[in-house]
Amino acid sequence: MTVRSGPGGLAMRVPLRASRISWYLLCAVLGVSMLLPLLWMLSIALKSGPDVNRIPPQFLPHEFQWSNFVDGPKMVDFYRLLANTVIVTVLSTIGSVVSSMLVGYGLARIKFRGRKFWFYAFTASIFMPQIVGLIPLQRLWIDLGLIDTWVPLIVPSFLGAPIFVFLARQYFLAIPFSLDEAAKIDGAGHLRIFWSIMIPLTRPVWITIAILSFQLSWNDYLNPLVYLQSAHRFTLSLGMAGFVSDSAGQATSQYNLFMATNLLYMLPPLLLFFFAQRHFMQGIGALGMNSK
Amino acid sequence: MTATGVASTASVDRGARTRARRRSGAVRAFLTGHLFILPGILGLGLLVVYPLVTSGYHAFTDWNGLTPAKWTGLKNFRYLLGHDPTFWPSVRATLLFVVITVPAMLAGGLALAVLVNRSLRGVRIFRTIFYLPVVLPSIAVMALWKYVYDPQYGLANQVLKTLHLPTSMWVGSTRMAMPAVVVVGLWGVGSTMMIFLAGLQAVPAELYEAAQVDGAGPIRTFFRITLPMLTPILLLQVVLQMNAAFQTFNQIAILTKGGPGTTTDVLMYKIYSDGFKNYLSTPQLGYATAEVWMLFLIVMVVTAITLRFSSIWVYAGEGDK
Repeated sequence: MTVRSGPGGLAMRVPLRASRISWYLLCAVLGVSMLLPLLWMLSIALKSGPDVNRIPPQFLPHEFQWSNFVDGPKMVDFYRLLANTVIVTVLSTIGSVVSSMLVGYGLARIKFRGRKFWFYAFTASIFMPQIVGLIPLQRLWIDLGLIDTWVPLIVPSFLGAPIFVFLARQYFLAIPFSLDEAAKIDGAGHLRIFWSIMIPLTRPVWITIAILSFQLSWNDYLNPLVYLQSAHRFTLSLGMAGFVSDSAGQATSQYNLFMATNLLYMLPPLLLFFFAQRHFMQGIGALGMNSK
Repeated sequence: MTATGVASTASVDRGARTRARRRSGAVRAFLTGHLFILPGILGLGLLVVYPLVTSGYHAFTDWNGLTPAKWTGLKNFRYLLGHDPTFWPSVRATLLFVVITVPAMLAGGLALAVLVNRSLRGVRIFRTIFYLPVVLPSIAVMALWKYVYDPQYGLANQVLKTLHLPTSMWVGSTRMAMPAVVVVGLWGVGSTMMIFLAGLQAVPAELYEAAQVDGAGPIRTFFRITLPMLTPILLLQVVLQMNAAFQTFNQIAILTKGGPGTTTDVLMYKIYSDGFKNYLSTPQLGYATAEVWMLFLIVMVVTAITLRFSSIWVYAGEGDK
């Protein structure tokens, strides 16, 4: 569902003006304290080395040292990490969308023996903790000789993540069945119906799945940590985690470089969020409410 | 659910030929159906059934990944429950983390959702601000907070100093490490806020109108109407948030590495330490698998209890939709 501005509900009877002012004040205080760490990070990212080490620390930089955004990324080979992450994320996202839409269609629109069984099996597996799979799968990928490649990070997303399958199925169920009947009379098969009728009609749900899958993959740390060993194959999460543990406890003067790089790492999801905000909200609503 | 029976009107004709055709249609549907869900079936086999079965076996073995696993019966579990000096502290850390995080995420999210469920100018900006931390990559967030907690240069102590409050060692102190880790998680309270907000807006306006007619004040309206209407979403959130909290890893891995001592050594991190960290030397895979099953068991039991007692507080709605 879309998040719209709802009717005021609770606050109607409090005197209007006082209530509004206190509302704005409260929101502003909360908003600033939530943003504070980010603003602080931005400030450090712009500070010069001696500025970072000043005691007592100052909130604002003395002068803007833009070169941090060049020198920082250089220290961790940022652009290679970025390229690796983009490859893994894009392929995973494609895999998630394609597989969950296919499976969701099969479960929702084709009547066949056993579909209930599979639906329950998929839905139940939503609740299996990821950690249960980690050791056996790592061993499996080692035996297959695919450890330290991106295959273990990408292939699973082509196998229909249960939560996305669930979302897709729910959406497919809401589409009138008269549409496929008409198409079937015209001689269209399921693949044809899926591709030319359903995909355009289900745009909101596959965009939602794409966004969620992008986030999952971009932010994933545990899987790359377990599957990747050579630095030149690392994703950003691994590279940045290494960067922070290098910086910690040592020369704090590196922190401006680290924060500048960290900002660049945050940028793609942020941009995606601002450009696709509506779909983000839809995704959240879908995940939180589809309990039935 | 939408009715799916449109096709059944076609079965007026009861000729043998139609029946045969229908059967071949059923076979075809069976095949096409399974073809469509094939990725899911493979996924279920590879990512769910296979790990469950093999780890079910390996939990009872001595296994280092190099030589074949050796069946040792209950030895892993006996050591785990009776001798491992870090197991019970780890369970304690895990439960403590869950018990603080989950209620705080739910209460905080609900409070924020109520706060921004108004049609005032600028409300969208505040919603976006509150949600913003959720969008950021978790490692980036953890790295940022690691520096926030730096005793000398960090923002946390800077703020405390300006407020003339005592400063802290944060993740370096036994007392503050766990609260510090929890606070980082709560920075992402925007996720539950958004879900509750969607739920709040789905509450029918007539209910509020009726309450107003009956002269109910805002607090009464909240506890008698809003909250009961939200309970189904709340239940799902309790289950999902608990699941997530039990599997918290990134926060610990970046901020504390389980320390100081065992204060933040949650089970997820302990499993990782035992099973993966010493990857090149001697991973204790059998033992780590036994720990995985303990964690899995705890999650299942807690979830089952939550669901079992949910009918007491969850509003079931009027009739099944």
